[in-house]
Amino acid sequence: MAGVTQLTGRRPLAAADHRQLPLARTDWGLVVAAFALSVIGALLVWSATRHADGSAYLIRHLFNLGVGMALAAVVMRIDFRAIRAFAPWVYVASLVGLLLVLSPLGSTINGSRSWIQVPGFSIQPAEFAKVALCVGLAMILAERGERDAPPPARDVAVAAVVLGIPVLLVLAQPDLGSATVLVFMGIGVIAVSGASRWWLFGFATGLAGAVTAALTTPILSAYQRNRLTAFADPSVDPTGIGYQVQQVKIAVGSGGWTGEGLFHGRQTQGGFIPFQQTDFIFSVAGEELGFVGAAGIVLLLGFLVIRALLIARRTRDSFGRLVAVGVAVWFLFQILQNVGMNLGLLPVTGLPLPFVSYGGSSMFACWLGIGLLGNVHLSSLRRLT
Amino acid sequence: MLLVATLFIFSLFAAQLLRIQGFDAQSVSAQALKSRLHTSSVPAQRGSIVDANGTVLAASLDRVNIVGDATATVVYKKRVDGQVRTVGLAGAATDIANAVGVQPQPILTALQQAEKKGSQFTYLAKNVTPAQWKAVQDLQIPGISSEASSERDYPQGTSLAPLLGWIDASGQPGGGVEQLEQKALNGKPGKHVYEQAPDGTTIASGDNKDTPAVDGKNVQLTIDNDLQWYSQNALAEAVKKAGALSGEIVVMDPKQNLKAVASYPSFDNNNIASAGSSDLQSRPFTDAYEPGSTGKIITMSALLQEGKATPASPVVVPPTLTRAGTTFHDAEVHGTENLTLAGVLAQSSNIGTMLAGSKLPSSTIYEYMQKFGLGQTSGIGFPGESDGVLTPFQKWSDTQKYTVLFGQGVAATGIQEASIFATIANGGVKEPTKLVSGIGTGNDFTKPADDRSSQRVVSSSVATQITKMMEGVVSGDGTAKAALVPGYSIAGKTGTANRYDPKLGRYDGYTASFIGFAPASNPRYIVAVTLQRPTKGSIYGGDVAAPVFSQVMSYALKNGGVPPSGKQATPYPLTFQPEKSRKP
Repeated sequence: MAGVTQLTGRRPLAAADHRQLPLARTDWGLVVAAFALSVIGALLVWSATRHADGSAYLIRHLFNLGVGMALAAVVMRIDFRAIRAFAPWVYVASLVGLLLVLSPLGSTINGSRSWIQVPGFSIQPAEFAKVALCVGLAMILAERGERDAPPPARDVAVAAVVLGIPVLLVLAQPDLGSATVLVFMGIGVIAVSGASRWWLFGFATGLAGAVTAALTTPILSAYQRNRLTAFADPSVDPTGIGYQVQQVKIAVGSGGWTGEGLFHGRQTQGGFIPFQQTDFIFSVAGEELGFVGAAGIVLLLGFLVIRALLIARRTRDSFGRLVAVGVAVWFLFQILQNVGMNLGLLPVTGLPLPFVSYGGSSMFACWLGIGLLGNVHLSSLRRLT
Repeated sequence: MLLVATLFIFSLFAAQLLRIQGFDAQSVSAQALKSRLHTSSVPAQRGSIVDANGTVLAASLDRVNIVGDATATVVYKKRVDGQVRTVGLAGAATDIANAVGVQPQPILTALQQAEKKGSQFTYLAKNVTPAQWKAVQDLQIPGISSEASSERDYPQGTSLAPLLGWIDASGQPGGGVEQLEQKALNGKPGKHVYEQAPDGTTIASGDNKDTPAVDGKNVQLTIDNDLQWYSQNALAEAVKKAGALSGEIVVMDPKQNLKAVASYPSFDNNNIASAGSSDLQSRPFTDAYEPGSTGKIITMSALLQEGKATPASPVVVPPTLTRAGTTFHDAEVHGTENLTLAGVLAQSSNIGTMLAGSKLPSSTIYEYMQKFGLGQTSGIGFPGESDGVLTPFQKWSDTQKYTVLFGQGVAATGIQEASIFATIANGGVKEPTKLVSGIGTGNDFTKPADDRSSQRVVSSSVATQITKMMEGVVSGDGTAKAALVPGYSIAGKTGTANRYDPKLGRYDGYTASFIGFAPASNPRYIVAVTLQRPTKGSIYGGDVAAPVFSQVMSYALKNGGVPPSGKQATPYPLTFQPEKSRKP
């Protein structure tokens, strides 16, 4: 490890390099896209909550955005090596958070024990676990990768354990959505790290087995199974998730090509959709902004993910590449699940749409992700100069 | 590879968006609209009914029905001792009851039953005032909403109830003017179409369309509320005093504008549940009875008009008279009397009327009965109005040919009887009877269309002669001195008829009446008083009905500002000297 750092850093010019990269060299496309999504999110959150709560949610969303952007700025400017040094501690802190959630300190909202209530706000440690894993997995798998060799089996196994612990803790809440994101993020990072294809095959088999078991054996209660299958057949849970799925479909469908206009969607303004400002914020866009608006958001989200993947591709440094891939896969799967359930393509799992949905922890985590991407981007630029 | 996957996933989203929003949008949004769209009826304000002077006789007051969605009310939270607590249905029931000022238990029961059934619409309180609803609204209880309603108020109560009718719980008119003028009074309900949110509130941005309600028109009656009130009270007292079954008073002017239509026993149309079923009808319109001697006016008018007699024509009246196998008597036993035609009327001799009237063929009598309005309704269209009983003369039995001459064997309503006298008071011209004088908005009334026309029945000189003959009735030798109104000349006629009881299917008791008008020289009011089956004291119209006539007529004259009559006309002689008549 010492050798690695000597190769990349510890040169007298390192600090000067840092200063030589002004703000102008930041990946502005990334930041602007994330900021645009956050602002659109603010409007949609406002629209979804103003009939009942006035501007309370709007203000908090904007506040979260401000804090998130500040966090991103700090992470972007921080020394690359410092992140690496912090990684184990960040990982341990997130595990502590996930354990605290399951302790009596945690609080249950809508059937999931996912929050720690602090006076004034609540924290969702699973969101921060995503950031921690991005860095943690990259750290483990990048050690050998620096030498352009695939990580040895031992490292992959360690990574699998490091991944498995938070996944199990998140599943215990239960928060299937976040667990899925974590699993795919891990698989993505391991795949990109150059690990043996057998590992991927093993993961794929395990996943297939888990899904089969979930749907056919009594591991899950009938209620939980219905929640998972209601997206395809709302009649299995007509008053709960089925109702939600139906109302969301009506909202998105009502939007048509150009939407009913911001603040004028009847499904949204009538409050037909529970948790619309968080899990179903995309349906507000569908109804009020129509195909044009919803497709625009999809386009921005797609731009964000592709941008992240491009940063990963451009980065020579193995650690940076794996971090960028981690963030990209995280965003991709979270977007996939959220938009998928809003469009009736995937089960309702209760995940926020990055940047757009209301929620402090999610907003902070996503902007931390942007911070990491920005940091990797600036580091790779530094390497090129 | 990840890039390809990403592009694939996002294209999939775009495709699904296109499918939902581009192609399925219309059917989805139409289906959604249908589930959100609610329609409620906006009741039209029912028009008022006012009297000739604008006094309100019936009016609709704005009321509110409080409606609850128990499934939403369950979560009712409020601050108790500084802490927000869920007080649910019980808390809601208590708070609503306090705001309205009723017992909470029925409201709680209604809410609990609705919650059990999962019903989202339950009436919690009906017909509360807008102020009470405001108090409930201020509580901001979830699921509690309102529905516009109205309540019919009759400030005059029992005095006018049978004439006005009532409005039942479903808002439908029951009898009287309410039913007669339903079309004008009712108005057209509006429609409120709105999109409703799951919590029961209206979605502001939804398709909210309103068709405003068209309020009903106001109806003005010819009735004078003060006179009506006085008549009703006088009637109630008289019926009780005479131990009668029922009674009625009709007051009209010579143009047949009805000024008072009293019917006793009455009911309170503000509280229809308490009404007796036999008291709901306005008897002067709906009850036909054999009028008796007041019917002699038609016979006398026909005799004079046809030139068969004059008021001074001599009639030798024997103690009894046998015709068609029946022996007829007069009310009082007497020997052979030498009466003039005026005397026959003044003393109300049946035998005299028979002898004089037999100069006319039955067809002529029948013709005059029709001309005076018997056998047909007034044409007002009053609900349940009777046209009386007038069988064609060809079907009259042999005795009936004689009894019709003195008002038995035919039946008429109080309105028809008063109308006969009004025709005489109006110089022989029969005007259509009128109850409604105007229909309009606010105080701007227009006369309703009326295809009835006035008809001359007898010449004005005959009308004058009959009037003068009727002045003899209330003279010292007449049957109804009690009908006198000091200072005014009165023309009138008593009636004491055998009363046919349709329930018993036979004659039972008497119908005592007095009908007359004043001042005789320039008539302003016709008052008809009828009591059915008086049992205490006298059964004669001159004793039972005439004093009531006097009371009501004197009130009417004073109320109408009619100056006292001047010199009394010299009455016709009621008797004749037989030797004089033998002279050629």
